[in-house]
Amino acid sequence: MKKVLVLLLASFVLLTACSSKSDNDTSTSEGTNDTASQGTTELTAWAWDANFNVAALNMAKDVYATQNANVKIDVQENAQADIVQKLNTGLNSGTTKGLPNIVLIEDYRAQSFLQAYPDAFYDLSSVINASDFADYKIGPTSLDGKQYGVPFDSGVAGLYVRKDLLEQAGYKVEDLQDVDWDKIIEIGKAVKAKTGKALLTQDPNDLGLIRMMIQSAGSWYTKEDGTTPDLKDNAILKQALETYKKLMESDIVKVTSDWSQFVGAFNSGDVASVPTGNWITASVKAEASQSGQWAVVPFPTLPNTPSSVHASNLGGSSWYVLNIDGKEAAAEFLKQTFGSNVDLYQNLNKQIGAIGTLKAAASGEAYSAADEFFGGQTITADFAKWTEQIPRVNYGMHTYEIEDLLAVEVQNYLNGKDLDKVLSDAQSQAETQIQ
Amino acid sequence: MRAILERLKYNGLFVKMFVIMVVSIISVTLLTSWVTIRMSERLFMNTFSITNSKVITQIKTNFESFNYAVITAANNVLQSGSIKGFLSQGDGDSGTIETNRIYFTAIQLMKQYQANLDAYDVGMTIIGANGRSYTSDNTVWPIPKNQLRTHPITINTNAEPKRVMYQFSGGTPDSLNPVIVATKALYERTSGTLYGDLYIAIRETAFKRFYTNFTSDGNDVVILNRSGVIVSSNRDDLIGKLNVGLLSFAKQIEEEGLPYKNASVMGGEYVLLAEYLPTYDFYVVNLVDKETALEQLVNTRAVALICAAIVLVALLIVFVISKRLTRSLSLLVRQMSNVTKKNFHNYINVKGSFEVKELGYAYNYMLDELNDYVKRLVETQREQHNAELAALQMQINPHFLYNTLASIKILVQQGSKEKASDTINALISLLQNTIGNVSETVTVSDEIENLKHYVFINHMRYGERIKVSYFVAPDCLDVRVPKLILQPFMENAFFHAFNDKPDGYIYVLVSAEAGSLLCEIVDNGSGIEGLSDNGKLPNPKGGRQLFSGIGIRNVHDRIVLLYGNAYGVVIDSKPGEGTKVRIRMPLL
Repeated sequence: MKKVLVLLLASFVLLTACSSKSDNDTSTSEGTNDTASQGTTELTAWAWDANFNVAALNMAKDVYATQNANVKIDVQENAQADIVQKLNTGLNSGTTKGLPNIVLIEDYRAQSFLQAYPDAFYDLSSVINASDFADYKIGPTSLDGKQYGVPFDSGVAGLYVRKDLLEQAGYKVEDLQDVDWDKIIEIGKAVKAKTGKALLTQDPNDLGLIRMMIQSAGSWYTKEDGTTPDLKDNAILKQALETYKKLMESDIVKVTSDWSQFVGAFNSGDVASVPTGNWITASVKAEASQSGQWAVVPFPTLPNTPSSVHASNLGGSSWYVLNIDGKEAAAEFLKQTFGSNVDLYQNLNKQIGAIGTLKAAASGEAYSAADEFFGGQTITADFAKWTEQIPRVNYGMHTYEIEDLLAVEVQNYLNGKDLDKVLSDAQSQAETQIQ
Repeated sequence: MRAILERLKYNGLFVKMFVIMVVSIISVTLLTSWVTIRMSERLFMNTFSITNSKVITQIKTNFESFNYAVITAANNVLQSGSIKGFLSQGDGDSGTIETNRIYFTAIQLMKQYQANLDAYDVGMTIIGANGRSYTSDNTVWPIPKNQLRTHPITINTNAEPKRVMYQFSGGTPDSLNPVIVATKALYERTSGTLYGDLYIAIRETAFKRFYTNFTSDGNDVVILNRSGVIVSSNRDDLIGKLNVGLLSFAKQIEEEGLPYKNASVMGGEYVLLAEYLPTYDFYVVNLVDKETALEQLVNTRAVALICAAIVLVALLIVFVISKRLTRSLSLLVRQMSNVTKKNFHNYINVKGSFEVKELGYAYNYMLDELNDYVKRLVETQREQHNAELAALQMQINPHFLYNTLASIKILVQQGSKEKASDTINALISLLQNTIGNVSETVTVSDEIENLKHYVFINHMRYGERIKVSYFVAPDCLDVRVPKLILQPFMENAFFHAFNDKPDGYIYVLVSAEAGSLLCEIVDNGSGIEGLSDNGKLPNPKGGRQLFSGIGIRNVHDRIVLLYGNAYGVVIDSKPGEGTKVRIRMPLL
């Protein structure tokens, strides 16, 4: 009888043990990013432009993976507008769910994020050394003396030209080394007359050309403080707009609506030149059949503007780490790749034409190599040379907000509105909006 | 092995009982569990289908609101003169400034319309008959514009210009992300001329957000288009696959208005719920994997363990109880089986349960009765036999008396008074010894004396051609033997041994041998024909001059009855040489 009792008791214990086990099965909630310290860390990175930024990120990822197998990086390509919108949405709502660890932000916008969401980004001051990078990148990527971004590519601008088309119109590359925009328009007309091709493309919604023009003369939409709109009575801007209108009226512009049309236009040989940042190199070279027909000449100066130099900037961006779980791992990744790896920059330059802003990388052999696609021109060295000449301006926080207003006014201007009125209207609108 | 079999034999009842109990308990447990699980399964499935149909409704609502946004955007685009101008105008129709203005306005509008869809992470593309195009986000669906004009999606759209169509694209060579593209042909309202197409592409990964909140492991959602291609699913491996089987189930559910349907698809058992999205021309199918769902419901392992534990405990109890019940019974059986042949004195130890005790008492009582009965039977038989012998002994053959008396008369007539007197004396002695209790014993000397009287009478009657001699060991003279034990053999020798011979002799030998008394009657007559091997005498025929009713055939029976099997009569006879009768009796 005793035995039976013991057995009953034992089986009861067994039963309770069984039934209690089924409770705790599916309660583990999975965070997107685990703590960096243990096991495999998964990081997410957002960038735009598959040929350039995304490609660069993937190369960095591969380099990093050889030494750090426990860190997995998920590179996601998104349109820049999309990234901006998602970041704004996420950071505004205060939730970091769904946001990446690493994000690429254009220098024009960097301050608007850093100033609007001061705690959202991870301070990289102790991770990288700001003085290792080109000076003009530090302004947009830092705030209050803290370095938040790892400067990536230079946005140094140049004028990509089709040598063959120019030659048909009677011009040589040598003729374009020191020209202003009036001269360029003249050349454009000649090209149009001889070849029927447009000089360049313009997207009416993107005033990048105007931005390049005014920066070449050391001006910007805002004053030095970065917040006060500087449109009305901005002589340089006025000059740029006049040049712009002149360009448009010359019937040498092919109007495009989006990035793919922009790229499509020069890849298909519809335009004779591309005035833009050096990051377009990869897209230009994507059309291999045009090898040897391209050259890069210094950015034209703004007519009647003594301060204008043959150097400007368009775009250019930097890497930022969001202040969420995994930030240490993400910072470490950036430190070992874009923050210090000279070899990586050499490869980036060779493979995708990216020109980094890490000073140490500029001395590498790739930066002085001749590029056969550009007829043996040492374009990287040239860009590097121009980089030094780029006038420093403070992009401030409101570049694109002001540009959106200005774009509308520019249309009015093109359609006959008085330029002074255009600028003063834009000024007052900007002042209202920015307040 | 033998020992086990032996044990099994005595525990047969227990084994049978236990086996039956084991089978019953296990089958009851299994049946109960099965029925319970079945019932809860059905209940669960019903509840599940109700919840999931609500879920599907919610999913449908999500899709509807996306569709609403898409329709709004499409209408905006369609109604916009600027966009129409952008898409229908020829390149040479206006100057750069005007073209620039048209581009600017159209794109501004597109951006504005796109803003309505910002929540959905879509890429909007317009493409005109004039070749102009605009894409808000080329990464969503990076298809080259020149391919788009002849793409099947465009052809389908243009075939039905009034509809907003949702179509699936498995991706492009540059980007393998599957996308769902809402398309709308842009046409002149009045003339019906097509001037372009609108594409609103949403990545499948974004599209599935409409329902992924409701999915879980084993609870999948699949979106099928009209031809059965899975355009979206929370299970990435299914996207882009053709599944006609699933489509036909979805159609059936939709057409017959079934709440849900059990079906075997994609190599598993699923509960299917389906809803048709008319605006999309898609079917939302909710697949609930029965196995996974029920695994969450029924912890098979726990159930099995509980069942096993219950069965084990029950079996233990049954084992102990039935063992106790049957042990006394099997003990009883073992004791009873020890009752051997003719031994009815094996009484049982009465113990165990009440029933078994009663059985033991009854058995013992029966043995008592049986023994009592046997004893009485033996007694009765003996008495009967004695009575029988007594009756026989009383029957002095009248012929013998008549013949003897006739012989005496002749002797008297012949004047041989001496002989007559002796014969009468012999007859008197013979009758005196014969009449009396048959069970009484006499000494050997008395028996021999009787025998001599009988022989004397016979000599008187038939003459003395047969000589009789007596050899009695002196130590045997006082041994007691039953009456008339030798006389029948002497009679037999006189009347049968010498039918063919004129004369002969008979010896009577009495001696002690190996602790018993041996009497031998030996003659040298003609022997007995047809004597059986066992030495028993054949039954003599009647009609002869027997002295009394006691014949030789009774002698053996009497001796056995009186003294047991060790004693008796053995007859040895050879034809022509004579007969030897040996009578063995105890020395008393």
